Amino acid sequence: MEELGIQILKSAVSGLIMGLVFALVALGLTVIFGVMDIVNFAHGEFLMVGMYTTLLTSPLLGVDPVLTLPLAGLVGAVLGVMCYFGLIRFLLRGPMIAQLFGTFGLMIFLRNLALLFMGSEPRIIHEGWLVGKSILVGPGVVLESTKVAAAALSLISFAVVWWFINRTRVGKAITATSLDAEGARYMGISTEYMNALAWAVGGASVGVAGGLLVNFWPVEPGVGLLFTMIAFATVALGGFGSVRGALVAGILIGFIVNLPPVWDAILRSIDAAGLRGMEIHSFKYTMVYAVYFLIMVLRPQGLFGWKQ
Amino acid sequence: MRKIALVSAIVLLAAMLVPAMAWSAPKEIKIGVIYPLTGPAAAAGRELRAGAELAAEIANKVMPNINMDMAKNAGVKSMGGAKITLIIKDHQGNPQLGADLAKKLIKDDKVVGILGCYHSSVTKTVSAVCERYGVPMINGSSTSPTLTKRDFKWFWRTTPHDKWFTKDLFEFLVGLTKGRAKGVKAVPKQDLNPLAAACEKTEWGSNVAIEIKNFAKEYGFTLASDILYAAKSPDLSSEVQSMIAAKPGAMLFASYTSDALLMIKTLKSMKAKPKIIWGQDAGFDKPEFVALGDDIVGILTRSVFLPSVVKMKPLSGQVNDLYVKMMGHDLGGASARSFTGLQTWVYVLEKAGSTDPKAIQAACNTISIPGAQLVVPWVGIKFSTKGEEIGQNVLGGGLIGQYQKQKDGKIGLEVVYPFDIATAPMVYPFQGY
Repeated sequence: MEELGIQILKSAVSGLIMGLVFALVALGLTVIFGVMDIVNFAHGEFLMVGMYTTLLTSPLLGVDPVLTLPLAGLVGAVLGVMCYFGLIRFLLRGPMIAQLFGTFGLMIFLRNLALLFMGSEPRIIHEGWLVGKSILVGPGVVLESTKVAAAALSLISFAVVWWFINRTRVGKAITATSLDAEGARYMGISTEYMNALAWAVGGASVGVAGGLLVNFWPVEPGVGLLFTMIAFATVALGGFGSVRGALVAGILIGFIVNLPPVWDAILRSIDAAGLRGMEIHSFKYTMVYAVYFLIMVLRPQGLFGWKQ
Repeated sequence: MRKIALVSAIVLLAAMLVPAMAWSAPKEIKIGVIYPLTGPAAAAGRELRAGAELAAEIANKVMPNINMDMAKNAGVKSMGGAKITLIIKDHQGNPQLGADLAKKLIKDDKVVGILGCYHSSVTKTVSAVCERYGVPMINGSSTSPTLTKRDFKWFWRTTPHDKWFTKDLFEFLVGLTKGRAKGVKAVPKQDLNPLAAACEKTEWGSNVAIEIKNFAKEYGFTLASDILYAAKSPDLSSEVQSMIAAKPGAMLFASYTSDALLMIKTLKSMKAKPKIIWGQDAGFDKPEFVALGDDIVGILTRSVFLPSVVKMKPLSGQVNDLYVKMMGHDLGGASARSFTGLQTWVYVLEKAGSTDPKAIQAACNTISIPGAQLVVPWVGIKFSTKGEEIGQNVLGGGLIGQYQKQKDGKIGLEVVYPFDIATAPMVYPFQGY
């Protein structure tokens, strides 16, 4: 029983940390959707660009990977603005389906561009303040430094974005644009500028996330997909466009994917020989999507969403 | 009278010519070679192609420096020195394309037989085409156990498959408990028990998981944690937590490249301390994995050919020297097995003495190539003709290598199993993180 208790503690802590990481990746997605009602399928590729930015610039500048985060954020923001003015602005004139295919095309374009210049081999960062370090936070509870840093960054990013959207004039203009773009234009708000700003904020947040995650995760051109599948579920679960929803849903998903070790500990503590072998690890993402499905049926706008 | 004499002369001449025509051997023997030369496995394809080309070159020339039967003659001696010609095609990892190429090779190029195809999925479709046309196919590098369980009459495989490799692992673990590993005293079985396995959940990994489960039972080990995971997963911490909680003596993995890297990083971050970490080749045998540096020292991986084999097998060293001249680097698992595949073709043709499919089939079913002739460290090549598996080489064997720090400071693989050909003392236990 003691083992079960410790395992629950371990899973709760690592679920919380991983959940915050998922939320961090999802933040940019929900900001862009909140303002423009566009699902950015290329979001994972923005993450990949952030990862490569840190991977390449850290040895080039001779600084620790962590110090290149502002640069990764800047690259993400510039990429976001470029995508907005070069592609999204035109897609907005077309039907919803054009926007879907447009960002999907952007995803394929960025991924293949990375394949062309970086090759298909996964790459890792070998040295850095966070690389290979972990922190002992309790009895047998060990946490990866990169994940803890990403979780902290996640909380800070959410606080900053929440403050920006709700407490600043520009943020209120963004909210006005997202609620009623035409009305906002009558009030003298440059919706074009607001949209570009949303892409810049979205791109910067996911760029920084990528720059931090590459301290632990290997990067390859297809890495974005690993995280965006979860990011989409996070955003839909929390409610498209809801910043608070993305945070709560991210943590919820973090907890769900950390359930299998608890299940294993239960089997061990009751010594259920007959149930041994009923491992649920291979179903952990199935559980995430099952919860997602359930919430979509019962509450289509998501946990905290206001748009349908 | 003159007419009779003329007819007699013609008949006599014809009688003399006919057997000569029937016995005359072809000048060249075409073998179709189908490998992934472009696409995601292109790097492996380059090695496979070079391995086959080197074997053909040795077969076609007299090379006194190479201590191998096929290096003693120029061409296939029993067919009047007919030269081996390779017709190489690219299947891009696509099973349908592979089947189409096989048809073209058989119908248009009139190949005598086929060598290929690396991907088990492509080997499956290509061998089906060969079976339909009654054309012999020798496979040197596909490891899915099911390929030789189809009762095919025209398919032979020289490489051992995943079932054998997993059996090797358990033989190794048992040998470890008996003190047979070089430089390691007998390890009590309870130090290695229980086992914890994590395999990626596609066709390959899930089959490896089944083999591990079956052999653990057979060899009296407890499999406390038996996990299937998605190779394309953003996080493996829950899997590693469960494995560590099972307090395993040995951790076993079947992983592709990215997930192998993430797995090792997660094991390190969670301070895993098993006595043994073993990987089923694939992700554990890639340059990116070696780039993890000190974190992989002591980790074991199965393989069929390691550069250190040349230390104990002079023939491997002789062939490796030629390969280094050709490619600039050592023979590896893919190239050595492809070399052996084509070498088998040459020995089979030598034994058959004819390009007649029936003669080749009979030669394949009765051939016995001693291990001394091979670059790979096997007992030899002899194909099974009855029982559960048909056409499988029963004398093959795998290697288990261990990543060790070498004198020049680089991380390299040393052979630790089979015990009698170990190239370095084994590092035991694994240092832990």
